Amino acid sequence: MMNRRDAIARVALLMGGTLSAPSLMAFGEGSSAKQVVGAAFSLTSAQKTLVAEIAEHIIPKTSTPGAKEAGVGPFIEMMLADCYKPQEQQNFLDGLADLDERATKAHGKKFLDTSSAEQVAILKQVEKDTIELMKSANVQQVKVGDNVDKEVVSSKKLKGTPFWRLLKELTLFGYFTSEQGATQALEYVPIPGRYDACIPLKPGQKAYAL
Amino acid sequence: MYLNIDAQKEMTYDAIVVGSGISGGWAAKELTERGLRVLCIERGRDIKHVEGYETAMKAPWEFAHRGRPDNMAAEEYWAGMRTGYTANEEHRYLFENDSKNPYLETRPFDWIRAYHTGGRSLLWGRQSYRFNEEDFMANGKEGIGVDWPVRYKEIAPWYDYAERFAGISGSKDGLSVLPDGQFLPAMELNCLEKHVKSEVMKKMGRTITIGRVAHLSKPQSWHTALGRAACQYRNMCMRGCPFGAYFSTQSATLPAAMKTKRLTLVNNKIVSEVIYDEKKGRATGVRTIDQNTLEVKEYYAKIIFLNASAIPSASILLNSKSSRFPNGLGNDSDQVGRNIMDHHLGVGASGEFDGFQDQYYFGRRPNGVYIPRYRNWGNDKRDYLRGFGYQGGASRSGWGRGVGMEGFGASFKDDLSKVGGWSMGIGGFGEVLPNENNRFTLHPTKKDKWGMPIVVFDAAYGENERKMRKDMANDAAEMLEAAGLKNVRSYDDTSKNLGIGIHEMGTARMGKDPKTSVLNKNNQLHDCKNVFMTDGAFMTSASCVNPSLTYMAFTARASKFAVDELKKKNL
Ligand SMILES: Cc1cc2nc3c(=O)[nH]c(=O)nc-3n(C[C@H](O)[C@H](O)[C@H](O)COP(=O)(O)OP(=O)(O)OC[C@H]3O[C@@H](n4cnc5c(N)ncnc54)[C@H](O)[C@@H]3O)c2cc1C
Ligand code: SF4
Repeated sequence: MMNRRDAIARVALLMGGTLSAPSLMAFGEGSSAKQVVGAAFSLTSAQKTLVAEIAEHIIPKTSTPGAKEAGVGPFIEMMLADCYKPQEQQNFLDGLADLDERATKAHGKKFLDTSSAEQVAILKQVEKDTIELMKSANVQQVKVGDNVDKEVVSSKKLKGTPFWRLLKELTLFGYFTSEQGATQALEYVPIPGRYDACIPLKPGQKAYAL
Repeated sequence: MYLNIDAQKEMTYDAIVVGSGISGGWAAKELTERGLRVLCIERGRDIKHVEGYETAMKAPWEFAHRGRPDNMAAEEYWAGMRTGYTANEEHRYLFENDSKNPYLETRPFDWIRAYHTGGRSLLWGRQSYRFNEEDFMANGKEGIGVDWPVRYKEIAPWYDYAERFAGISGSKDGLSVLPDGQFLPAMELNCLEKHVKSEVMKKMGRTITIGRVAHLSKPQSWHTALGRAACQYRNMCMRGCPFGAYFSTQSATLPAAMKTKRLTLVNNKIVSEVIYDEKKGRATGVRTIDQNTLEVKEYYAKIIFLNASAIPSASILLNSKSSRFPNGLGNDSDQVGRNIMDHHLGVGASGEFDGFQDQYYFGRRPNGVYIPRYRNWGNDKRDYLRGFGYQGGASRSGWGRGVGMEGFGASFKDDLSKVGGWSMGIGGFGEVLPNENNRFTLHPTKKDKWGMPIVVFDAAYGENERKMRKDMANDAAEMLEAAGLKNVRSYDDTSKNLGIGIHEMGTARMGKDPKTSVLNKNNQLHDCKNVFMTDGAFMTSASCVNPSLTYMAFTARASKFAVDELKKKNL
């Protein structure tokens, strides 16, 4: 019985569990920590192109619009400037530079000059490395409320949210809350008008936006 | 001279109600409907029903940061940030800017305020439960705080009255721990919630029911007469409801009071003190400071209802000093500002469920499940006093799950466009005991920009609450596991402080003895009979259920009493 109590108090390792939308905001310090205001952040035009391309790799155009069409690139830049701390902004810039370094090392050219398949391979490796990094830093996702998850870092190995994680999170957030994503990739019902508690899921049915 | 008297007359009403939130709205309605000319003084701006709900009809992509607080907002709404949601872009305009309204913390307190017409009635979660018989007796039996001077049977008819008018949707469960009321049709549980309900009943004998909420599931004639309509299940209630489907001052009590043509509402006037006339031995009016011009103005009335919410109402008393009341009006007991209670939360569990893959729902139900208290109830005995209930719900996950998933590209996108697996979470709401040392005071020298002394909190959870939290986390996980959920995780967020339940109460408790309490059983100041307080300040104990319905019932009851006393010339 004793151990069972400990067992149910366990927290899932990052990258494994389910995340709900509000969790997208908290990372690291406690929620009462004050944010830094006014740190200037902007991307060069080369960086802007790079961000838009990677976002499109994550959410490509299919039968529905992709990240580019939904304006996810500029959205990410704006969010980093307005809602993040200097540490995350720096991680992001470093991450972009790292992509070019990886591409140069492997193929002798910058990331965007490599083939699409090569780009995907590099991004997959970045994702793997990020998962390893977060595991080694013992990043844990803890529930702090019904709809709020928080990620805590118990080691000093990690300074702020890593690049890939920021990029993926902001791409999904930017895309699925955009008009294109919410109304075409998902089903957007602004005023349902009624509540049906238990109904059959239709084959291929899209999830509701919001 | 002559002019002055005229001007004074113009500023004179039968009753003054301070604050237009949940309780102030009820006071305004009840007092006007019983024939009084009432002035309701609100410190914040006016927010008009429907047209004042700036963000109600906005789509997600119409918010600059898609709802998230930006760094600037996070800095200004520093207390609001502690909740994890109140500083969000969609509804931030209805919460108070903490930098402009600073407070101090000897021990930290999460103070979430809304200063404008309607107060927090526009923002509340609308969960509406009655206290039970035991709730009114526990203090007396256990020797905690002071005994309530009121028992359940005296307030029950007023619960009936408040529920009917407000419109509470809920199911009758026949439990003494959660007395039934006058309900509109209940909202339905979804299939996982139904499953968990029946498993938990079968295996543990505990009830799970649908939340009782102040939403018009089926409007009645007296609701539609005020322009209120049925709930549309969009669950964007915190932005203000254009349909008037949930109970708020704007949708319900204000229109009712306005119908009488006896209500005057003034905005942007901060009540700084109650004016006490030493010769008459009664209060004669209130002094106000204009929020924009700082102009000081007095208003007069035969009776005064303080409904500014627990902390501001008690602040007004503390700030109302006279030679009869050197420590603040009605504060002979030194209990004003003490015994701050709240409900403690941020502890519970969640888990995933494999089945029902072919089941979904339609509409966004603005409500969840409720698990009534079962601890220290009947034969159950724990090493702490009182108990807790749970609120929560089940849903299928959305695109957010993608953040934690490996992969990207076309199939990843396709997958995230589809409905994810089921999960369910329940979070405890625990009773906080009254404790004299949990208090706030007014800073002796520091003042805000209107010249009002700054509130200083010195309060925290006690040993009883900490003990209770262990059960709150473990029981939650046990129930979900009993129902067959997987990956069940419990949590106990200790970063939260008293106040985070946004149910602050108890700063001018009711009691039988003027030496140990501030108000009598009719919500009158023991020592100044024409001043009434019917917001959370009066609460003698907290129960574990959400409190606002209880404020409504007591406000209606005290209003009738006040008008009767006025008629009998006792006030
Ligand atoms: C997000 C959220 C969720 C909640 N969920 C629930 C729930 O599910 N169930 C529940 O029962 N409760 C809930 N509550 C709590 C509920 O909102 C409060 O209990 C209730 O609003 C208190 O009513 P009140 O009249 O005391 O104060 P308020 O509604 O806060 O109103 C006080 C009014 O007084 C005004 N005022 C303050 N000071 C002065 C002054 N000096 N002069 C003039 N006017 C002044 C304010 O501007 C305000 O309009 C929730 C609250 C929030 C914020
Ligand atoms: S869910 Fe109901 S109460 Fe909430 S905003 Fe929609 S109609 Fe109004």
